Amino acid sequence: MTAGPATAQVETPGSSTKMQRSSRGWWIATAIILIPALVPPVSLAWQVITKGTGTTVPFGRLVELFVNTLTLSAAVTLTSLAIGTATAWLTSRTAIPGRRVWMIIAAMPLVVPSYMAALTIIGATGPAGLISTWLGIEIPTPYGFVGAWTALSVFLAPMAHLIVSPALRLIDPATEEAAVGLGASKRRVFMTITLPQLRPALVSAGLMIGLYTVSDFGAVSLLRFDTFTRAIFTLYEGQIDRRPAAALSLILMVVALAILFVERRTRTRADYQLGTTKRRRDLIRLRNSTRYLSVGFLSIYSLFSLVIPITVLAFWLFRGLGAGADLGTFWDEALRSVGVSLGAAVLAAAASLPVAMVTTWRRNRASPIVESSVWGVYALPHITVGVAVITFALIWLRPMYQTLALLILAYVAMFMAQSVSTVQDSLRRSSPDLEEASRSLGKSALTTLRRVTVPITMPGLLAGAALVSLSVMKELPATLLLRPNGFETLAIRIWSATGEGFYTRASVASLVLLAVSIVPLLALTYRDLSD
Amino acid sequence: MKRLVSLAIVGALALSACATGDGEGPLVVYSGRSEELIQPLIESFTRSSGIEVEVRYAGSTDLAATLLQEGDATDADVFFAQDPASLGSVSDLMAELDASLLDLVDPKFADRDGRWVGTSGRVRTFVYNTATPIALPQTIDEVTDSRWGGQVGVAPTNGSFLAFVSAMILERGEAATLEWLEALAANDPIDYPKNSPIVAAADAGEVGGGLVNHYYLLRLRAEGEGSNSENWFIPAGDVGSLVMPAGAGIIAGSDMAEAAQEFIEFLLSDEAQTYFATETYEFPMTAGIDPAVGLPSLSEINAPDIDLSQLADVLDDATRLVTEAGLV
Repeated sequence: MTAGPATAQVETPGSSTKMQRSSRGWWIATAIILIPALVPPVSLAWQVITKGTGTTVPFGRLVELFVNTLTLSAAVTLTSLAIGTATAWLTSRTAIPGRRVWMIIAAMPLVVPSYMAALTIIGATGPAGLISTWLGIEIPTPYGFVGAWTALSVFLAPMAHLIVSPALRLIDPATEEAAVGLGASKRRVFMTITLPQLRPALVSAGLMIGLYTVSDFGAVSLLRFDTFTRAIFTLYEGQIDRRPAAALSLILMVVALAILFVERRTRTRADYQLGTTKRRRDLIRLRNSTRYLSVGFLSIYSLFSLVIPITVLAFWLFRGLGAGADLGTFWDEALRSVGVSLGAAVLAAAASLPVAMVTTWRRNRASPIVESSVWGVYALPHITVGVAVITFALIWLRPMYQTLALLILAYVAMFMAQSVSTVQDSLRRSSPDLEEASRSLGKSALTTLRRVTVPITMPGLLAGAALVSLSVMKELPATLLLRPNGFETLAIRIWSATGEGFYTRASVASLVLLAVSIVPLLALTYRDLSD
Repeated sequence: MKRLVSLAIVGALALSACATGDGEGPLVVYSGRSEELIQPLIESFTRSSGIEVEVRYAGSTDLAATLLQEGDATDADVFFAQDPASLGSVSDLMAELDASLLDLVDPKFADRDGRWVGTSGRVRTFVYNTATPIALPQTIDEVTDSRWGGQVGVAPTNGSFLAFVSAMILERGEAATLEWLEALAANDPIDYPKNSPIVAAADAGEVGGGLVNHYYLLRLRAEGEGSNSENWFIPAGDVGSLVMPAGAGIIAGSDMAEAAQEFIEFLLSDEAQTYFATETYEFPMTAGIDPAVGLPSLSEINAPDIDLSQLADVLDDATRLVTEAGLV
């Protein structure tokens, strides 16, 4: 049972009717918001039903893709959660030297797009890679499962870090202190008290990481691991006939919904602690040896996630400058990347409030449908979303075709799951009683929204907006298909430059992308830092 | 906090608005050729002709499929694609070009019905590490020879590889092509997502050689690398040295047909042809312009005799065969 219905059950009959009435507005809003999210699956299904599937993929390959996709998703999720929880715990609970700096450093790899992550892994390893050239140690390039798993785990771990950190902060220290007082070891306290309370955050982060992995193309393509998304891209890129890719995308959505189902089973056993605490807690002082080990762990993690990628990019930049290569343009592109990502982030955060509301406090039998549509689109390869939106817009929304508005709506549909998830967490930590109280004191629905609901969900709204803006900034395939003519972003610049082998220009654009991505990241960690 | 949020909204809208850049009736070019290569040419065209150009850059197949979806409703006036297969798949949507344009180029490198014309030549080649002790392949079939086992880089999902396979289907038929692909797959090739990493790998000695387009090596050299590898144009007159022109055509019913014609004329002008030769390292299509230093002339390459207009008809079969052979 989630917190929502549990509290709703204890309502008196009178207030429950009022609750129903106030639910209606949220549900209507959700219905409107879901339209963009439903466009891709409906458009795909419609295409497959009316036009058939074209040449089908052999069954054996389908099974292989299925197994590969699920294995990679599970492995990446578990590894990222382990790394992210460790970095979150170390930077928000313990008194390690440079704690606040580490808190940001551990979040930064999230701004590295997966194709860049893969590209720099390839650039660093292998017989002619930087590591071999500079240090004389040859590390073979980890192609296949190992490469995709490493790249995605390392660069998605910050999602767990960013979601677990605030959760750690909000756990009431009283229980933990009591356990310590009764003589429990730090390890025992973490395993039996902290970890169970983190479960909701871990489940949210896990879903976000697992389904992002399903939709990822950059890492699996460059590091050569055959997943559904890679197969779908191959079909779109290699064939004029778009039917087989549409059919395969529909199958992928079914896989995503299966993952969502597993998540829901985990969630129902989760135990939420209502209410938050403003009490400050003392940071845990680690023994010297453990402290060195912890800083060592953080250093190694940031070596792989930041130092190596940035070194490879800087190396390409200086090598090209030395050979007199052209840097290309990037200022306008940076401005556009920041502009669309900010616009999409604000819209997505606003849109996720009603969606989160009807899936938590105002949950009913239709709520799982809402969640499935939001997460289903999130898991689709972005190229599929792009093509589906084009198909739809050409028939129904001709005036919006190739406009910025349509592109931003597509971003909102694709990434809303992230902000819905963070807002849901905010709502689950609180109780609808506050809203009820406000209404029964005669305050209007609008005042209640402004004075109660929005403040309660503000941490979730901000975290969601920051996550969405980072995802949008990195997004490539849908941007390529949906943008207005001439609308070039940093991600497009990187794609276009690497495609033609202009590594110098690609490295400049990548470094600029990293630099501008730090802004939403600072917004995201601001609360934790001020703690 | 509230002020911060509203500031963000206003900022986002303002940024979005100034980033769109509306213009009245520019020439709309759908370019499957990347901005990196083409934008300087576009700017030069606008300077000399006074015609504003709006370009939509994306993959060639993506744009072809998009054009097919848009049909009559398209805003595009010109389709400028990387390969004949993409051009051919939308040839029904394109108008016949003026003879004055077609006359500039060898008819081998233009559409049979004159709906698109080649603007620069890209040649399939076998890039190899100069230190490799393995004897170079004399025919495309020798690439699948066991002496090259585990030593050949390929990009089986890449557009130019698929165009090459399409050409092989036209040359040998489906069954023989599948056989060749299976032989390749059995020879443990190393697969890459695209051409440039293959060239980098050959230069680094990670692979002995690879099937790529000729210009990637020259670009790698412009970045200060690439001294350990060379291009080998397979001399047997088979698809191993296929010439795949990038080309352009005018969308039928374009309301900017004259400007579109002027644009294609510009692509075939000495200025643009020299640009292709010296900046993108492709083979010029018109007479009198030499290719980049270090490249043979197009006539010295023993290219196969293939009707490029038919490539589009077999492109989807190529994807299927590549999958069937287990290369992806």
